[in-house]
Amino acid sequence: MIDVLSGVALITDPGTIIWIMFGVCFGIILGAIPGLTATMGIALMLPVAIQLTTATGMAMLLAVYSGAIIGASIPAILLGIPGNPNAIATVYDGYPLTQQGRGAEALIAATVGSFVGGIGSLLLLGLFAPLIARFTLRFGPAERAALALVGLTIIASVSERRVAKGLLMGAFGLSLAFLGPDRITQTMRLPFPSITTGTPLANGIQLVPALIGLFGISQALYDIDRVRSGRLTPPQVSLRGSIPKPRIFLKMWRLMVESLGIGTFIGAIPGAGASIAVFLSYQRAQRTAPANAASDAPELGSGALEGVVAPEVANNACKGGSLIPALSLGIPGDAATAVLLGALLIKGVVPGPQLFVDELPLVYAILFALLLANIFMVVFQVVGIRFFPKVLSIPIYILLPLILVFSLLGSYAVEGRAIMAASFNMGVALILGVVGYFLKKHDYPIAPIVLGLILGDMLEQNFRRAMRLARGDYTVFLRSPIALAFILLAIASIAYSVRRARRAKAAAGEDDEE
Amino acid sequence: MRKVFVVLIIMFVVPAMVYAAGPPETEWPDPDETITVVVPFGAGGGTDLIFRELVEEMNNHTEAEIIVDNIGGAGSATGTNEVLSLPADGYTVLASGAHTVTATLQGLTEGYRELEGIIGLNWDPFIVAVHRDSPWESFDELLADAADDPEALSFGNAGMGGATGVLTVGMNLHFDGVFNVTPFDGGADLIANFLGQHVDIGVFSQTEVAEHMNDMRPLMIVHPERSTIPELSDVPTYEDAGYSDLDVPFGSYRSLSVRAGTPADRKEALADIATQAFESERFQDYMRRQGLLPEYSRLGELDEYFQELEDLFYPILEAADLLDD
Repeated sequence: MIDVLSGVALITDPGTIIWIMFGVCFGIILGAIPGLTATMGIALMLPVAIQLTTATGMAMLLAVYSGAIIGASIPAILLGIPGNPNAIATVYDGYPLTQQGRGAEALIAATVGSFVGGIGSLLLLGLFAPLIARFTLRFGPAERAALALVGLTIIASVSERRVAKGLLMGAFGLSLAFLGPDRITQTMRLPFPSITTGTPLANGIQLVPALIGLFGISQALYDIDRVRSGRLTPPQVSLRGSIPKPRIFLKMWRLMVESLGIGTFIGAIPGAGASIAVFLSYQRAQRTAPANAASDAPELGSGALEGVVAPEVANNACKGGSLIPALSLGIPGDAATAVLLGALLIKGVVPGPQLFVDELPLVYAILFALLLANIFMVVFQVVGIRFFPKVLSIPIYILLPLILVFSLLGSYAVEGRAIMAASFNMGVALILGVVGYFLKKHDYPIAPIVLGLILGDMLEQNFRRAMRLARGDYTVFLRSPIALAFILLAIASIAYSVRRARRAKAAAGEDDEE
Repeated sequence: MRKVFVVLIIMFVVPAMVYAAGPPETEWPDPDETITVVVPFGAGGGTDLIFRELVEEMNNHTEAEIIVDNIGGAGSATGTNEVLSLPADGYTVLASGAHTVTATLQGLTEGYRELEGIIGLNWDPFIVAVHRDSPWESFDELLADAADDPEALSFGNAGMGGATGVLTVGMNLHFDGVFNVTPFDGGADLIANFLGQHVDIGVFSQTEVAEHMNDMRPLMIVHPERSTIPELSDVPTYEDAGYSDLDVPFGSYRSLSVRAGTPADRKEALADIATQAFESERFQDYMRRQGLLPEYSRLGELDEYFQELEDLFYPILEAADLLDD
């Protein structure tokens, strides 16, 4: 108890609280700019944090982290462009809601979801961190490869009824993921190697510029097209009467609990990351929504609040989840927590099991700071909801060029001062933006490309590593109970999608006959 | 048309002439400029922390501001290539070392062939460890089991391209390929897989082992001297363990370099600043606490040292088929 109190005392001075508020604000703004990630925000503030006391510095960095995650949902909902990978899945229902004039409602749903995810994972972190951390250690190469396989089955869910096109796009994404050095033999896998080796392409295609190109630039180009043909009408943004009733969210409790579990757990597996968690929870929303939907509820993908809440719960839960192995084992769950760990190390605090023995007040201070950051996140978001939609009242002929400029800036900023890599990233964003524009125009789904790109590396690396460790014995995937369970889940997921597609086809057939 | 031509000439030629004449050579570095030390790895990692410590001390010895910039990717090749793309004016310095040599030999960058040394800093010797729950108490026992069933025991590194990769490959060559050398996705990934016992043997830095003493059993430090970290002072050296003929690079070596063609007086100035920081009580004390072994060299000496490193690494990478072809 004394530890708890001294922990709380570490961060309840006015200075620290102001730093937390600043961090959340900075994070939201940063996250809302396409391409600027939580990792980048934390790295930017690292030099400031190491000048502060350990607890205050960590509190501020965690606040930036929290803000950047919720911030990313703002452009995802209002413009259809995720601010960073955390908000990839928020686009599917968030943007349709905006187009129906319910953008403010979607922003509130995102805030509720983020708060639930943030606080829920915080509780899990506080209560079960060492336990969960020990369990995630059982995820070796075989288990992670199987998890990536489950992730790939989401392609069927996010392709709606265009499964063949979705698979094609997934394969395209996978082939993008295979560019770069082979991790085992260090051989370059590049087109025109004599030209491309030594360029940043040698490092493969980076996720953030690809995301900006496929979602941001392609959307802007597509909208320009629609403006020219007069088919784009600016969405209505009015706040009146659009505050969703708490009852609506209470009814989603099961989905929230599931997304919380998915997010915390995926976050705790080193190297898995929020982008997988948000898709998995979105898929859960899709599967569970028909069961609890009153007949008038919109279908997922066409503007359902469930489709916003689930990924927002998951990405915030991921944040708490990634701190679990970081604090209890000293292993970062993702790039952002790697920088956080670095900050602790610079301060002479060694994360790991000993942290919970030697530095208990600091651990409580970190947990409490995260709680405060979540509360401020909600406060700023609620205040901001009045202003964020104003972005949509900017005339379209100014907004679209602005989006293009910010997209390019964002893809440049990913590599900060690395001028060559940054310029190259702008090229990647532009090319994939044009490719995405043509794909959109011909009704190909974009999300499978991103899934392929994210999961391709995880699947390939871990599959090959598992095979190497097992000396070529394929049964390694069946001998691990976790891997086996994931493989069965992947099969079930595909079977479900096939059945759903057949039913939809049958239903469509009946419609035709009528 | 003619007017336009004249304007164009003025626009391009005049600044070029002014630039060519250059500002009058005064004191270098300019107190208003910023010197960037590019660390070709992510923020918060082992190499990053060492250079941040050094840079903080370097700032006490010059008026100009010195900052750290992390440009990770492709082993260390992305950051190295960035430095090579910037002007050779001394304002951009690379955190170079053993990683630069391996990345160059693998053809990922022109690397040290286009770089010139400022100062050499230290070695961070690696430790070979097994899990506490494993049966092996010494490297002898481990090797005996490995020889019984070659490639049954997996030997993990943090990536083939880096220093841990070279060490594992080199050791495996030395012991006739009895280990199954498996690369992981960086140090953190290797530790996670090691703690989960998905890999039998791992190679780690001393600080990593010290952090995880509850789970790691260090078998030997791949260096002629014992560790200066108290918890690790019992770990036998490879000579103590009876393998004095084990001639492999013993860890991670770190230095500072600039792009070739940087004026000699600027290199001198940088070497002076860095040397003062290196010799400071604070940095020396930091190295002792982290178990880093000082290996100082200056300017031309460092270039020669890089040549020695290449000679050391080349046969290992060649035998493992990791060379650029």
